[in-house]
Amino acid sequence: MPAILTVDPRSGVPIYLQIIEQIKRSIALGVLQVGEQLPTVKQLAIDLTVNPNTVARAYRDLERDQVIETAPGRGSFVRANGLTESPRVAVEIGRDALDLALREAKAVGLTQSEIRELFEAALARWFGDFKK
Amino acid sequence: MSITITNLRKYYGKSAAVDDFTLEIPSATVFGLLGPNGAGKTTTFKCMLGLARPTSGRILYDGKPLMPATFEQIAYVPERSVLYDWMTVEEHVEMNRRAFAKFSPARAFELLETFNVERQKRARALSKGMRTAVMVAMAFARNAEILVLDEPTGGLDPVNQRHVLSLMINEAAKGNSIIFSSHQIGQVERAAENIAVMDRGRLVLEGLVDDLKADRKIVEGIFPDVTFTLDGIANDPRVARSDRTERIVRLLVTGGAADIASRLSSAGAMAVRVLDLNLEDIFLYAVSPANATTDVVVRESSS
Repeated sequence: MPAILTVDPRSGVPIYLQIIEQIKRSIALGVLQVGEQLPTVKQLAIDLTVNPNTVARAYRDLERDQVIETAPGRGSFVRANGLTESPRVAVEIGRDALDLALREAKAVGLTQSEIRELFEAALARWFGDFKK
Repeated sequence: MSITITNLRKYYGKSAAVDDFTLEIPSATVFGLLGPNGAGKTTTFKCMLGLARPTSGRILYDGKPLMPATFEQIAYVPERSVLYDWMTVEEHVEMNRRAFAKFSPARAFELLETFNVERQKRARALSKGMRTAVMVAMAFARNAEILVLDEPTGGLDPVNQRHVLSLMINEAAKGNSIIFSSHQIGQVERAAENIAVMDRGRLVLEGLVDDLKADRKIVEGIFPDVTFTLDGIANDPRVARSDRTERIVRLLVTGGAADIASRLSSAGAMAVRVLDLNLEDIFLYAVSPANATTDVVVRESSS
């Protein structure tokens, strides 16, 4: 786990959000498998040298989003179909990535139709030809 | 153990070192106290520990004033190490064992080894960093519920600085409270859950580090020409500050960044960005509102 999780405390992104984002990403990429146990709050806090309450906050939010589940006394685990059953999570990751790309594209002065063209080309590249 | 500081004032002659300072420090957390030199951090610590008598105000531990029994629960690392030059490190351990009932000599020697301090050395032969390490080792061997650490990494190399942070995290995980000050904002940003910023004896900012970062953003708009008007956006209560140079306007906002950004767009900005602030940026804005802008590194928001 420590190998796939790092935080950058100097970033403007809150540490608990960095932890949430990386755990979701790890699940989406299959680095963390369904049913796999996460480190305890205390262990992760010590590994990352961040406050235990900050880690606990990230775990609480992940539970609320049904990405992980915590069995008292046994630890926290990646939920079965955590990401697919909770489409909100997948949609969130996709929306954030698109937002970032659009903001950049708009900032350098591309027009809406130019962006749409780029988007469709990218879509075709990733999903193959999608003509109906 | 929680600590409640209410309307604390400490005057030295006519000058106020601490001026009407009110703060609640919850238990089981790492609390960072930040401020420029002379802001009143050390004086606040001294008042908390009964080493200085407040001019007025109250400091309560779990609702009760400082008593001898409470003192046993508080370990303190002062900014300047207090060691007896003619005594060896080992003898300092023995002195602490006699002074504090819950002090663990075994733990102290273990920590001294972590910091690579030789136990036979006399204090006068120790470097500044090693003196700090000895003070830190003594404090963390106290099994205290509250640790008050005034610049606990002064003079330490990066490896030993990280050791100190890990010790703090460990204590918090055990349910104890750490209150520490440091000029190294990166350390506070990493280890602290809550912070308070003092400036000229007063509290100027407090909160959860993560929440301060989530709330505070810079919204930047670039307009096609210099003749733009902001349509009163700068007067929005969420806008703490606005800086305008030619075609660019930068607004420091507390909450509602997305909304302010879209209002800038409607006002005719051709490019609008929301920028994150790290703790150093937030600190600089808090203590020098008039001229911090130029020091703030521009960084694209990803949240």
